[in-house]
Amino acid sequence: MRRLASRLKRPSTLALLAAAALWLWAAYALWHATASVPQGPALSPNRFFGDLFLERSSSYERFLVVDGLLAVATLLAVLAVYACRGHRLMRESAAGRVGTGMLLGMLGFAVVWLAEIPFGLAAVWWQRDHGVSRQGYLEWIVESFLGLGGTFLFIAAALAIAMGLAGLLRRWWWVAAVPAFVGLALLFALVSPYLVPSTSPLRDPHLAEARALERMEGVEGTRFSVEDVDRFTTAPNAEATGLGPTRTVILWSTLLNDDFNRAEVRAVLGHEIAHVAHDDPLKQIGWLALFLIPAAALIELLTRRRGGMGRPEAVPVALLVLVVLQLLATPMFNLVTRRAEASADWSALDATREPAVARAMFRRLSTTSHSSPDPPAWTSLLYGSHPTIMQRIEMTYAWERAHRP
Amino acid sequence: MDRAEARPVRLVISDDLQRGRGSVFFRLWFALPLLLWLAIWGLAAFFVVIANWFATLFRGTSPRPLHGFLARFVRFSVHVYAYLYLAAEPLPGFGGKSDYPIDVEIDPPLRQNRWKVGFRLVLVVPALILLAAFFGSGGNASSGGQANGIGLLIVAAFLGWFFALARGRMLRGLRDLIAYGLSYAAQVWAYMALLTDRYPSSDPLTAIGPLPVREDPVRLESSDDLRRSRLTVFFRLLLAIPHLIWLTLWGIVALLAAIGNWFATLFTGISPAGLHRFLAAYMRYQLHVFAYLYLIGNPFPGFTGERGSYPIELRIGERARQNRWTVGFRIVLALPALLIATAYGTLVFTVAFLGWFASLFTGTMPLGLRNAGALALRYGSQTYGYLFMVSGAYPYSGPNVAPPPPDA
Repeated sequence: MRRLASRLKRPSTLALLAAAALWLWAAYALWHATASVPQGPALSPNRFFGDLFLERSSSYERFLVVDGLLAVATLLAVLAVYACRGHRLMRESAAGRVGTGMLLGMLGFAVVWLAEIPFGLAAVWWQRDHGVSRQGYLEWIVESFLGLGGTFLFIAAALAIAMGLAGLLRRWWWVAAVPAFVGLALLFALVSPYLVPSTSPLRDPHLAEARALERMEGVEGTRFSVEDVDRFTTAPNAEATGLGPTRTVILWSTLLNDDFNRAEVRAVLGHEIAHVAHDDPLKQIGWLALFLIPAAALIELLTRRRGGMGRPEAVPVALLVLVVLQLLATPMFNLVTRRAEASADWSALDATREPAVARAMFRRLSTTSHSSPDPPAWTSLLYGSHPTIMQRIEMTYAWERAHRP
Repeated sequence: MDRAEARPVRLVISDDLQRGRGSVFFRLWFALPLLLWLAIWGLAAFFVVIANWFATLFRGTSPRPLHGFLARFVRFSVHVYAYLYLAAEPLPGFGGKSDYPIDVEIDPPLRQNRWKVGFRLVLVVPALILLAAFFGSGGNASSGGQANGIGLLIVAAFLGWFFALARGRMLRGLRDLIAYGLSYAAQVWAYMALLTDRYPSSDPLTAIGPLPVREDPVRLESSDDLRRSRLTVFFRLLLAIPHLIWLTLWGIVALLAAIGNWFATLFTGISPAGLHRFLAAYMRYQLHVFAYLYLIGNPFPGFTGERGSYPIELRIGERARQNRWTVGFRIVLALPALLIATAYGTLVFTVAFLGWFASLFTGTMPLGLRNAGALALRYGSQTYGYLFMVSGAYPYSGPNVAPPPPDA
């Protein structure tokens, strides 16, 4: 007891406790920066969907979930082997400490990509079989291979920062690295609308409705684009991206085909504009910062046996630690995004005041993407970045109840 | 190492580089009857090759009459192209006899592996692809390949035409470059016509016999062992992305430095030490990155262009005084070199394409491809060195060897 008390009096322990308290306070503040939404009445999915669809969508999602879990298991197995043996690939480098670390980082993800090809192809086959994807197998492999280039670039930049700082600051590299990573994330968020390929401006009448919704939700200057995805998929989607002057709402072209009527597109627009109004992209970076602080510290701690992040030998271990931490944090991140999505749904209803349209839109989202409206709780916890379709439908009733005269 | 004299198909050069201006000026017209005869002979050769394929497949060796006919055809093709591309001076005879300054020696028929004979048409495809990089779209019809860029030999002949017209002689570098291409072409044609089962070698160091020993201020040295990591070969293009971005950023600064170097060298006659060092480091880094990207080297290069850090290394001499007239007009003077460098770019790209498959399957880069790529990279570096005022020596377009180090 006395030993514990003396440890608690050490300046480093006190600093650690203060940092932990500050972290908790920041997480609390960020959580409450997004308004909570009242839950709606529990409803049966059978009221909105036929038995056949419920059965098919459930089977559709089950396959993708199992495929995803197998892919994650493979990812972990490959990275575990790579953490043990990856440092042998150092002989393939004539670069210095940092360059060799970058090579090992990129090769780690290269090996993971190779190992995950069968699961990716299985998912494409399943989506094609259900008419959700139009992508060919070779096309998927080529696109995924080229996408790996982006991953390489990201990991190379991150390792250059981390290892460069580790060379200067030794064990305290992570203290400086986290702000650097957050800065990069901000930069990426700022330019991200310009990185989306095949976009064109949204046109009237949808644009006029978007401007009207903008005024109702108290924002202005948002850019509205349409991303042409018809070649790859039939699934509908939309996103709010960018920061400050680059804030952009991007609708997938699949939303503007005949499946969705104008009122339903308006409901989607209201939801995305709400994300902009709530500064959700910025809040996401806040959460990323909160994740990175303990994650970077843990990476430092767990790579010490390989000489710390300053040594290239530590990179394969760092990759494994990072991926494991990311997987562990995913349910928490999902909790955060589900809250933000629910809040955006509520604000969209405040702007459109059309709960029946929102219900129809949610229903159509489910039927066109074959997603199960009421998946098991554990899949929602692991994969659910949005409330389930049934929760979103129930929320529309809660909104009606709250606004009943 | 494969030596030229040990090959079953070898180029023999007795050309003295002297050219008659009149013959050079009308070269294309003088060559027309030869090209017409080559086309007629080529048609006959096509059917003889088919007969030779059956005969060699059943007997294991090419019958002497067919072998003799096809050997003469290959020899005549080399004579015609050597004449057309200004690698030789006299008008060649129509019989393909062995008395031409750029000639081919072909061994008598030997036993051939029947599997290699049976699949010859498939096996020759990579060699034809590489040959297309030499000839471009104006290549021999029998090559069957379409060029993906400017043909190296056509560019060399085009530039050689102006030089020979002005000076009455051909440049050694351009002549050797054309001879190198013809040496490879002769091997490919002979392989395709079943005159030998030895696969064509694109190694420039053994293509044309003794090479000139040159002490260029910008030269390439290799300590590469040809081993390639299959994993890094498969992902080579993606792994090079961080380097390509860094090279682009560094290249912007290097361009500004080169402009500064131009002014400084123009006024003082010598490149300032700081700028020379900076641009030399950039050139070394550029070579390391391209060597990695094009599979000429195996390990992942560093980001600083450090001297002696890569198995494919660029040696850049100390700064030296330069002629101010050549400095003043450097961009104009460098245009021919840039043309050749562009054509060499097609060659190194083709080398990388073929080398990717070879390295992935065998875990080693073929020596011929590696050396052909290294030659292309060396020429590119010399061009940059000349353009950036790092060196006043004009790039040497042909294959050559560096002198041994003084302590050797």
